[in-house]
Amino acid sequence: MSQLAETNQDAFPILGKSPKDLRAIGAQRHLSLSDAEWGAIQAHFKTLKREPSLAEIETIAQTWSEHCKHKTFTSPIRYTEGKKVRTIKNLFAETIVAATESVKKPWCLSLFKDNAGVVAFGKKWALAFKVETHNHPSALEPYGGAATGVGGVVRDILGVGLGAKPVLNTDTFCFGRPDYKGALPEGAHHPTRTLRGVVAGVRDYGNRMGIPTAGGGIWFDDDYRLNPLVFCGTVGIMPQWAVKKEVKPGDLIVAVGGRTGRDGLHGATFSSANLGADAPSSAVQIGHAIQEKRVLDALLAARDKKLYGSVTDCGAGGFSSAIGELGADCGARVRLENAPLKVSDLDSWEIWLSESQERMVLAVHPKSLKALEAVFAAEGCELAVLGEFTRTGKLEVVHHERTIVELDMKFLHKGLPRVEREAVWTNNHAAKPAGGVTKKAGEALREMIGHLNVCSREWVIRQYDHEVQGGTIVKPLQGVRHDGPGDACVIWPHAATGDMDDFSCFAVGHGLNPDYGRIDPYWMALAAVDEALRNLTCVGADPSRAALLDNFCWASPEDPKQLGALVRAAEGCRDAAKGFSTPFISGKDSMFNQSKDEKGKELPIPGTLLVSAVAPVPDGRKAVTMDFKGPGNALYLIGRTNDELGGSLYHRILGRTGGEVPKVNPASALDGFKALHAAMTRGHVLSAHDLSEGGLALCAAEMGFTGEFGCLLDLDECPRDPRIYSNETLLFSESPSRILVEVKPENESAFLRHFGKSAKSAMVRRVGQTTANPIIKVTGLEGSTCLEESLKELKEAWQTALPRILG
Amino acid sequence: MSIKIQAANVHLIEVKLRTEFNDAEGAAAFALLREQGLSALKEVRTGRLYEVTGSLTANQAHQAGKDLLCDAVTQEFRLVPPSPAPMNGMNFWRVEVWLKPTVSDPVGATVAEAIAEGGLQRPTSARCGMLYLLNGRAVKAQVEKAVAKSLANPLIHRVVVTEAHP
Repeated sequence: MSQLAETNQDAFPILGKSPKDLRAIGAQRHLSLSDAEWGAIQAHFKTLKREPSLAEIETIAQTWSEHCKHKTFTSPIRYTEGKKVRTIKNLFAETIVAATESVKKPWCLSLFKDNAGVVAFGKKWALAFKVETHNHPSALEPYGGAATGVGGVVRDILGVGLGAKPVLNTDTFCFGRPDYKGALPEGAHHPTRTLRGVVAGVRDYGNRMGIPTAGGGIWFDDDYRLNPLVFCGTVGIMPQWAVKKEVKPGDLIVAVGGRTGRDGLHGATFSSANLGADAPSSAVQIGHAIQEKRVLDALLAARDKKLYGSVTDCGAGGFSSAIGELGADCGARVRLENAPLKVSDLDSWEIWLSESQERMVLAVHPKSLKALEAVFAAEGCELAVLGEFTRTGKLEVVHHERTIVELDMKFLHKGLPRVEREAVWTNNHAAKPAGGVTKKAGEALREMIGHLNVCSREWVIRQYDHEVQGGTIVKPLQGVRHDGPGDACVIWPHAATGDMDDFSCFAVGHGLNPDYGRIDPYWMALAAVDEALRNLTCVGADPSRAALLDNFCWASPEDPKQLGALVRAAEGCRDAAKGFSTPFISGKDSMFNQSKDEKGKELPIPGTLLVSAVAPVPDGRKAVTMDFKGPGNALYLIGRTNDELGGSLYHRILGRTGGEVPKVNPASALDGFKALHAAMTRGHVLSAHDLSEGGLALCAAEMGFTGEFGCLLDLDECPRDPRIYSNETLLFSESPSRILVEVKPENESAFLRHFGKSAKSAMVRRVGQTTANPIIKVTGLEGSTCLEESLKELKEAWQTALPRILG
Repeated sequence: MSIKIQAANVHLIEVKLRTEFNDAEGAAAFALLREQGLSALKEVRTGRLYEVTGSLTANQAHQAGKDLLCDAVTQEFRLVPPSPAPMNGMNFWRVEVWLKPTVSDPVGATVAEAIAEGGLQRPTSARCGMLYLLNGRAVKAQVEKAVAKSLANPLIHRVVVTEAHP
């Protein structure tokens, strides 16, 4: 009989209780357990012939939370599309994982199982990349939520393999419009306040840790006003020998870093529920960046001395998750009284579950402990031995001689019941555009360039230190005045490796457009992958060596329509990965992003997928920026333009609905990207910029005002669907896979050779040239000028939109 | 045997920019509060508050304020007396924004460490707060509402609004 059964003072009676009673208990304690999960827990403890303890129930709830177990992606789904019904056993395994396995890339060193994905970077080094979401905490307390989001993802990078050194932070946000004038429910922050707080939180944590924040983006839509999305990413570099980790029975469980407090309780279960006014204040934390920097420095020093065998971060669920995961294959015995505390009045379960920041857990051979203590003491960083890993297959937790947890690891990690959910997808979108008022091309361009989803992010970017560590080769703001919109950042990480003669770099790009998802999440996913890859290609990264990360943020998966859309998006990711022959290496999902609005009606976010991509830039000295470099150069458009204005910015400003959403052909897109990369490596490309929101007109305008040169474009020369007869379609269509490229006249034939026999499906045509006069002038299909705008005025509209609202 | 319990000393150290320096944080707070309807506001100045609890004497707290918490070139500091400030109509308001006790205070923790490293007795706790001095006519309820919507988050902050001297 277990010790817990003998000393039952911490018992948390559940045996014999009805589902209604259990739901009430769960709601009171923010446990977010379903009826089926309660049933499985009851059955388990019935076989043990005892009641669980409070700490055990809390441990199970944290471990089984959506945040930790990704139940939506791993549970069976009965999917209905029209008259076809099929069962998906495991959405994650059948889409993201299956596609990654099918493309078989030997340079993928660690996929899905660790705290981040890891790919080889040269022969000796590896890059670890992770993007996390911190949505619910940021909605409640924007500054603290975003800051601890950064802190959390940095710890993921410290906790991958034996630890990587963070060399880049990325941050992507989705907010309600900052000029939102409508009502908000009690307790909700105005989107402007959320934006200011989130940016300040990311700024303060990243800057204080000395990690450059150089990638990301912002999307505005009023449906995010109650549920902002905060995606925090970090890239780290590590030696390839440090990718593998191992816990051995007999290793000591060592906690390092911050002390444990009451802060952060119920973070995991809280993020697995709809956001409401009853959120616990303990779910919010204030980060301590300097503490985490100490942990970082000490940990990497200890790694290089090989003083520990495994490491992970204390994230959601605190010690319960970290020690539970490390000891999942063997067992662990913990003595909680050894944990350093912030306050002395914590209950046992609070110490065990607290999500206090800046803590890591290590598996340490007893012989290495003394040396490890010396390394951490040198950085002023606390260290405590909490117990040891065992061979019992059990998670045993004792506090002052009192056993508070005695759980079978198998039940804890494999006992979660798999409940089938219903998913339905119906395509209700009209293929033919309708409504709205047509505008002249110039008027539309002026409006689009000052639109919140296009305008300059300088107000945000300038708050971040994107230069620290001295390796930011291609910066987020580019051009002659360092204020134009870059496609992706390029980082030279060798200040960290010490290989000062190695010019290899890496680039990070992103793709996100929830407006396409409103029409069809399948094509949204393909477009997001395509956008991330073409952004990488534009700066000189090798698209054939790219690796992807997926971050799904969705409303309640208990709504069959929402789940149907999620299935479409996941299947889009699968087909994109296969089509581009590009693996997913990591990802994260955040569900239940919906809240009751001011009228008490559920307001779900639009289904949102952020795709992040990382790829090597073989020689950073050949990286390319997006600004025009001089007059008289040829402009080539790579990729075909189709009548694909569905979900476009042009339709949004016209108030038009319907139309074809942009559709990706991965094979021909990849041919174009590869050919362009080959041309870049031979120095045949002066500048390149991808066509995304606003299409060709907006792309050319941005390249022009960033380089302070104008351009002449002829729409009749655009590679296109021959059925297009509208100048506006050619100017503003958002067909994917297209890049505008500037080439010196003497290099034109050499440039075109790269698009020869090996890349027949890529379409590339000379569509114009750069000029000294800073205007954009476009000749329409009928042969007369259809657009002529001053780049100076366009730039002013682009630059002033956000500061005008934020002050 | 009787046990004599020593009551802990609590010192409130206030650090502000000298008035001759431009207060950018104050200007930002001014704009935010006006957005929230405090249209009669004329100026906002800011400062930092440190509540240090432990066995430090007033002289030692003064020393910590002078040597550790205040930049003598641009800032001034004082120990705030425990008695309430006298009333002065409704033209000047003192707003203190503190993290709730359940929320971690990394700055406060660093201050406690630094005091100990400076050779003084280690405080049992140190908490850091934000001070806003508002110049302009308003009523208390208006100030409290505007602060809760702009400078503080009721979920994690405790706000104290009092009338103050100019």
